[in-house]
Amino acid sequence: MIVGNKPFIFDEFFASGKEESISPFLTKSSKAWSKNLTLKSSILAAFLLLISFSIRNITPSISDALLVFVYFLVGTPALIDTIEDIRNLEINIDVLMTLAALLSVVIGSGFEGALLLVLFEVSAAMENTVTRKTKGALSTLHELSPNRAFVIDDSGQTWEKSTKDITVGTIILVKAGEIVPLDSRVIAGSSYINLSHLTGESIPISKKAGDEVQAGARNLDGTLTLEVLRVSADSTLTRIMQLITHAQETKPQLQRFIDKFGDKYAIAIILLSVIFALILPLMDSSLAYFGTEGSIYRSLTFLIAASPCALVIATPTAYLSSISSCARKGILLKGGIILDAISKCRAVAFDKTGTLTTGKLKCTLFSSTSPSREIIPALSIAASVEQHVIHPIADAFLNYAKEQNAPLVLIEDFKSIPGFGVQAKAQYKEKMEKVFIGHYGYVSSNFSDSVKEKLSSFQEIEPTEGKVISYILIGDELFYACFSDEIKQESVSTIKYLAEKFDIDTSMLTGDHQENAKSVGLKVGIQSIYSDLRPEDKLKIVADLSKEKGLIMVGDGINDAPALLRATVGISMGKIGSATAIDASDVVFLQDDLSCLEWLIHKSHSTLSVIKQNLCLALGVICLATSPAILGLVPLWAAVLLHEGGTVLVGLNSLRLLKK
Amino acid sequence: MKDSNPMHFEGKSPKEHLKEARLKGLIASYEVHGMEMPGHIAAFADSMKDTTTLLLMIWALSLSLFQADTISKFMILFSLGWIIWKPARSAMLGWGRLERLHRLIEEERWEIDHNREQEKIELRAMYEDKGFKGKLLDEIVDTLMSDDNRLLQIMLEEELGLTLEIHEHPLKQALGSFIGAIIPCILLVASFYLCPPLIFPFLGLVLIGLASYTSAKLERNKKISGFVWNIASIGMVITVIYVISKIFVSN
Repeated sequence: MIVGNKPFIFDEFFASGKEESISPFLTKSSKAWSKNLTLKSSILAAFLLLISFSIRNITPSISDALLVFVYFLVGTPALIDTIEDIRNLEINIDVLMTLAALLSVVIGSGFEGALLLVLFEVSAAMENTVTRKTKGALSTLHELSPNRAFVIDDSGQTWEKSTKDITVGTIILVKAGEIVPLDSRVIAGSSYINLSHLTGESIPISKKAGDEVQAGARNLDGTLTLEVLRVSADSTLTRIMQLITHAQETKPQLQRFIDKFGDKYAIAIILLSVIFALILPLMDSSLAYFGTEGSIYRSLTFLIAASPCALVIATPTAYLSSISSCARKGILLKGGIILDAISKCRAVAFDKTGTLTTGKLKCTLFSSTSPSREIIPALSIAASVEQHVIHPIADAFLNYAKEQNAPLVLIEDFKSIPGFGVQAKAQYKEKMEKVFIGHYGYVSSNFSDSVKEKLSSFQEIEPTEGKVISYILIGDELFYACFSDEIKQESVSTIKYLAEKFDIDTSMLTGDHQENAKSVGLKVGIQSIYSDLRPEDKLKIVADLSKEKGLIMVGDGINDAPALLRATVGISMGKIGSATAIDASDVVFLQDDLSCLEWLIHKSHSTLSVIKQNLCLALGVICLATSPAILGLVPLWAAVLLHEGGTVLVGLNSLRLLKK
Repeated sequence: MKDSNPMHFEGKSPKEHLKEARLKGLIASYEVHGMEMPGHIAAFADSMKDTTTLLLMIWALSLSLFQADTISKFMILFSLGWIIWKPARSAMLGWGRLERLHRLIEEERWEIDHNREQEKIELRAMYEDKGFKGKLLDEIVDTLMSDDNRLLQIMLEEELGLTLEIHEHPLKQALGSFIGAIIPCILLVASFYLCPPLIFPFLGLVLIGLASYTSAKLERNKKISGFVWNIASIGMVITVIYVISKIFVSN
């Protein structure tokens, strides 16, 4: 009975594919015995093989007995795999290696067979390491995913309930330090949350009533009462886990080809070896390297030298390492196929708002209808009134007041008129004055006769595209403030880097009018600016660029969904809560950081480069060793070393891609 | 509560279903060859008992059937094979048990995921058996159902009668078994070569006694009774072999 105690966490065990080292049944001290068992047994086998080899001429019987141990330790797992493969009608590397080892024993080359099995086991242990590391991102998310929540019932009582049993609209409570279990909206309370587990972004984000929070976010300080927006199966965390799993399972074209080719190749190698073993003795024995002597030995050497172990692991280990590395960086990919596509693209198109710019408003001007008036006291009042409001303009007012060192003042009778603006009273020029803030229609409806007279010649300022104007009426004095979107800091450096380092054409696609688009485009250094675009125009440009150069389209994932889908590669940024973003894009940046793009393009190029190196190495070893093997120029042990050495090198080379 | 999937209970009541499940757990957690307790110490004691018994049987045969030279070589080679076989078998049994337990845990997790209502009925039946009823029973069931990890642990422990984190790793168990085999092999073979003839059976009985005492202690059985029964059984085996072997010699 464990009620009240901490229950055993089974999720990690299942997520690992029931790994023995975390079995719930083993004692804590016993679990260490299971870690890297394949590697440990292959090291022990290698040690025994070395002793066996050393004492071969001194005590052959003990040497043979030790060799039997080696075959037991590394041959048994290989034999099990082989029998299972044959049962499934698969002729692959396992079958080739086991066959080669068995043939080695038959022709009296037991040492070479044992060496082959030991090295094969070492490379299998390495492949396991790569797979385990690539699964790391997923198991971290599993650890992060809470499976229960505190539900608040109608009477106000809290109950623990499994997240699987919680429906949309349920009210839950998340205390400080806890993980948000389901995608929800804050209905009471405020707190800072941290999404670093999901996005890598460690800066805390403030959440208050009305804001959405994603499953997996850590509540840092306050207590939040939340209304569940999505059930467990649809939550952001589940979608991210599904996306990572999908990415690991989706095979790029090259990998699919090698998998398909691998089986046929294995059969061909076995057949060729048999043919060589049968034909070589029939050939003229006076010719060098032919005749009966050693024909099976040579065929066996050929079989080992031509086995495609390194070739088979060359691509999957590289893609898996890269996908894992991307996931740790907060970049989700829909498979290795996307890395291929990215590396081939010669153009990048950006959406403007929310991609090159922050999408947050910034106050660029605070002015008065009369140039002689002092600005700071009015700014102080405006910011003091706006601090009671949750709105992007209010945030911009407060930030601007802070920048201009305008102190906040006391206000009275605050009132918000949704959709119009706000009003209050504040001390201004030693008098208590009425304050109205909002759009021109709202503010002008509160003009007194004297104001109307004063402003008879004043015309409402025409807002340029992308700009917002807010009016502030204090007593009978009118002020106005302009707001515009802020350019992201990393936009300039990223665009410069893409052009200089990768020679990629950059363009901006926006519905904004030309002047505003040009202003942003020039600031960030973009090469081509497409403005005044209707959605269909945008789609046409994306289609043309995709066809012409191969296009990476970067957008916010919601407004740009069609363009993201149409582009060669669609990337959505910082929209982890949006199902549309995840569905429409090939890549999701969990962080709202454009510099991830240069990192990703660099990673795609490195991945292809590593794959090319791996393939060259694997094919090189095969070409180098096969012909001399059949001519009897390469001894069996050398073929084994070349073959397995190549496999280990390919594995290690792929592991380099795990670097963040 | 409505049983939405009658197939789950296969026409039995929740309580009958629980009984069957507990039996299934019991079978899964034991070694297939009997009631040997899993663990490296138990494996050590079992291995020591088996090894000593076999060597004593060979010794009994040597008294009438074999030449001293033949039996000594036979004993060495037999011991060598035996000390390899015992840990290998112990590890295989351990892994077999672990595989069965992992299969059970997966089946139970599947049930929790797919037959939550039935699992709730089972949980209710279990706690009704323990004497809980009314609102308290409802609260217990709701609390346990709220956390899948806790629910799975409860189902494994209460329904299937399994205990978590008590099994040693198969290799650790095999090590116990290896030590349990190698000690009697070295001591008995050495005494066969170096000591007066009666030391061999005496030492064998001491080793059997030690192994029986360890097993009885682990199983919390009566130590003296276990010790004497084991000595008596093995004494009987050796004597029967010795006596009957004389028939073949006389013929």
